[in-house]
Amino acid sequence: MNALLLQLFDNIDIIGWLRGIPDWIHGIIVWVYTLAVGVFNWAWGVFVWAWNLALDNWLLLFKAIVFPGLVFVLMLIIFDVWFTRKVWGRVQARRGPFHIGKYGGLQIFADAIKLISKEIIIPRGAKRWMYRLLPSFLLLVVLTPFAFVPWTSEWVITDLSVSLVLVFAFLTAVPVISLLTGWISGSKYTLVGGFRAASNQFAAEIPLIVSSVGPALLAGSLSVLQISQAQTHLWYVVLLPVCFVTFLVSAVISIGLVPFDAPVADSEVIFGWRTELSGVYFTLTYFAEFAKQVLYSALIVALFFGGEYGVPGFPPFLNFFLKFLVVLFGMIIVTSSFYRIRQDQIVKYSWRYLLPLSMLNIIVALLVLAYVPGLAGILAGGG
Amino acid sequence: MAPPTTPSEVAAELMRRHPGVEAHKIEGQTAELTVPAGMIRDVVKSVDELLPHALPESMFGVDLQDDRYQLIYYFWSHDIRVLVQLRVELEGEEPEIDSVCDIFPGLEWHERETHEMFGIGFRGHPDLRPLLLPDELVGKYPLRKSFQPDRRRLAESGLPQPRPRRQEANKE
Amino acid sequence: MSPDIRDEAVEMWFGPQHVSAHGWAAKLTVVGDFIVECDPHAGYFHRSAEKVLEFRTFKQGPLVLERMCMLEAFLAEYPYISAVEQIAGVEVPERAKVLRTIMMEASRIHSLQFWWGQFSAELGLFAMTLWPWVDREFFLDTFEELTGSRHAVSFSTPGGVRYDFNEKVLKKLDRALQRLEQHLPKFKDMLLRSPTFRMRTKGIALFSYEDALRWGLSGPNIKACGVPMDLRKDWPDLNLAYDLVDWEVPVVDNPDHPGQSDAYDRMVQRFLEVETSINIIRQLLPQIPEGPIVDPKARAKTNRLPAGEAYGRVEGTRGVTTVWLKTTEKAQTPYRAKIRGPCFASYYSLKHLVPGSTFADFIVVFGSLDPYPGWWDR
Repeated sequence: MNALLLQLFDNIDIIGWLRGIPDWIHGIIVWVYTLAVGVFNWAWGVFVWAWNLALDNWLLLFKAIVFPGLVFVLMLIIFDVWFTRKVWGRVQARRGPFHIGKYGGLQIFADAIKLISKEIIIPRGAKRWMYRLLPSFLLLVVLTPFAFVPWTSEWVITDLSVSLVLVFAFLTAVPVISLLTGWISGSKYTLVGGFRAASNQFAAEIPLIVSSVGPALLAGSLSVLQISQAQTHLWYVVLLPVCFVTFLVSAVISIGLVPFDAPVADSEVIFGWRTELSGVYFTLTYFAEFAKQVLYSALIVALFFGGEYGVPGFPPFLNFFLKFLVVLFGMIIVTSSFYRIRQDQIVKYSWRYLLPLSMLNIIVALLVLAYVPGLAGILAGGG
Repeated sequence: MAPPTTPSEVAAELMRRHPGVEAHKIEGQTAELTVPAGMIRDVVKSVDELLPHALPESMFGVDLQDDRYQLIYYFWSHDIRVLVQLRVELEGEEPEIDSVCDIFPGLEWHERETHEMFGIGFRGHPDLRPLLLPDELVGKYPLRKSFQPDRRRLAESGLPQPRPRRQEANKE
Repeated sequence: MSPDIRDEAVEMWFGPQHVSAHGWAAKLTVVGDFIVECDPHAGYFHRSAEKVLEFRTFKQGPLVLERMCMLEAFLAEYPYISAVEQIAGVEVPERAKVLRTIMMEASRIHSLQFWWGQFSAELGLFAMTLWPWVDREFFLDTFEELTGSRHAVSFSTPGGVRYDFNEKVLKKLDRALQRLEQHLPKFKDMLLRSPTFRMRTKGIALFSYEDALRWGLSGPNIKACGVPMDLRKDWPDLNLAYDLVDWEVPVVDNPDHPGQSDAYDRMVQRFLEVETSINIIRQLLPQIPEGPIVDPKARAKTNRLPAGEAYGRVEGTRGVTTVWLKTTEKAQTPYRAKIRGPCFASYYSLKHLVPGSTFADFIVVFGSLDPYPGWWDR
């Protein structure tokens, strides 16, 4: 037995094996080092590629993130919240926010901080992960169409030949998210609110799209940028005044502002589909509503009020922005001076009046174009 | 016969129709009548017929102590400006009377309140759950004179106890 | 309710944590968008006032009463005082009668202004909530100048009133009235002529005079049906000064459905009520006689009352408000006091009025009756 063991030790060169250990360790270190360098080189290559890409397309990046993009839109939404509260305050014989910042300008930031830092209470019956995801989806869906808003012919993030359709495609997802939020919140009131939101969209969507068909027909394009560019001589609101009104009204229905705010009617269904949201999730949905308001105001300016064209000599952006402010102000004034109407009344009136009116206006405008000579000439896109 | 237009005529007609009803005071626009407990439904039906457009104004109990109770009904008619008061004497630990809430639905909650406050039963009443009081107080009748609203007796009510006062806590 | 409907029915609690349900709750059984059953629950505000009154002297009693409805404090405390004065057999000085009447009508105006605002908020227009409430502040200023308190006024007392008018009060009251008179056409435009308001209230909660009376409704809810049922005319009160005034009970003329009223008619009725109250105050202000505001002998007589029973009634903002009082010989406190709040009936009648209306209209039905939880919970 011992002899066998000795024989085994004789056959294995232990000393030699021990001598090989440093080489072995060295090999491992070299291997790890090579791997790290390789990964680093790869990452660096990606960075250099991205950097060069960004440098080559720095304008697009800047547009997407800073100026007509994310930062600008968020600032605009914050301004809209402040503006709404201030106008509502004046209409309602009070002063609106005025304590924090000049004219209460920082009040919105204070409110946002308060809302975000609040405790999040998720009801027992709610689906937790959906509850956490859906509000972010909502804001995402509402912010994406801002890519197509032509603030000027240069300051537009991107433009596709079908951007008008895409805008509506994105906005169609909003009531779905509202309904889902109401459904998964585990409360009867949110469910009622969710169904009301869906019903609102059902009422408003077709008049909304039909009214936007008018400008698209006149401009001969489905791109928001090209429609706004086509109004060099004549704003489409002159030819399609009823379409403008129906678009405005259906936009207000779609946003769910006061005469049509049955989905979030506080005296009936508390906060509708948003009742059970708390803290940051409520903030997201709150912002999404104002984002929609800003988006529709910008779209109205682009589709009906000639986009960047206005007072000659003014910078194009200023032209657009002033008109945008006027439309936004009009929207806020409208919403602060009506009583809430019932959900069945919303659906009834939008199908009975809004839809035929918007169709009628398009037909009349086309007939006018056909029978009034010279009118088609001043429409750049050709009727 | 012409419908009655003054309190005394109303009282006379009621007494003629229902022997046993007594008028004990007729003054100004008011006619006060005493009604035996068993006749209350018939009398209220007659009041409904005699008073044009009667408003069931009020109905409540009074604890006269020693297991004697009074029920008082008020009916007002704007058309002839007559106020009719019906008074029913009841006796017993937990007396019972017929409900009149199918004749005047406006009296349903008044009867419900009288039931929870005095422990007077109403035969034929559809819904005698406590109205104003919490469910813990079922079987205690707060408006009876024997019910003392005393802090020391709070434990009997079965309601959640308030925190002890600071001085008392210090003493202990 | 047939069995197959009951399978689809959903129970929804409206309150007590609902935004619009301030101190009440109703269990609604809803099928689709329609309410098939309404079970109003009371008691969230219960302060056992009737038991408390048995332990308060006749001068402390009014303070309990005015807490039943802070909006119409001058009116709410009066039926108790009326009952005490009837048992004591006292008559108050002429000046106190006129002052009482003026302040009761001012209280009515103030309460109705609050109601316009509340009803508008329930219908979603917050501008119309705040505009009347700005005008309401001027009445509150008057109350504060007169009594030192904006809501818990405790103005009347058995035997007279506790505070006298001075130049400042008169000036403030005049200013409040002027402002309201100036703004009334604007409020009418905002409410009665608004197309969205008409859409929401026309034909909602339509009931007939006979039906409503059986359910115990009174006040403006009945007057809106075109019936001048008003205790100020029907039940002459010795200690009030309505006989000095030339006025008519206002009723709504509604040719579409005579003898019935819907939510819109009740809103019109409440505008007429305010106009009548302004008229009464305007006529009474120059007629305030000189003299004492309280009769000390009469007041002393109410320290201990003889045995008796009395029924004090007054036409409140929301309907017939009464207090029944029973006293024993030489007692300092009532033997039994029964408060009849007008809203007890209007809240209970939701059970009858609500079924058949949509879920969205529930708050319109409720609001159009002008209920105040303090009156039914007491």
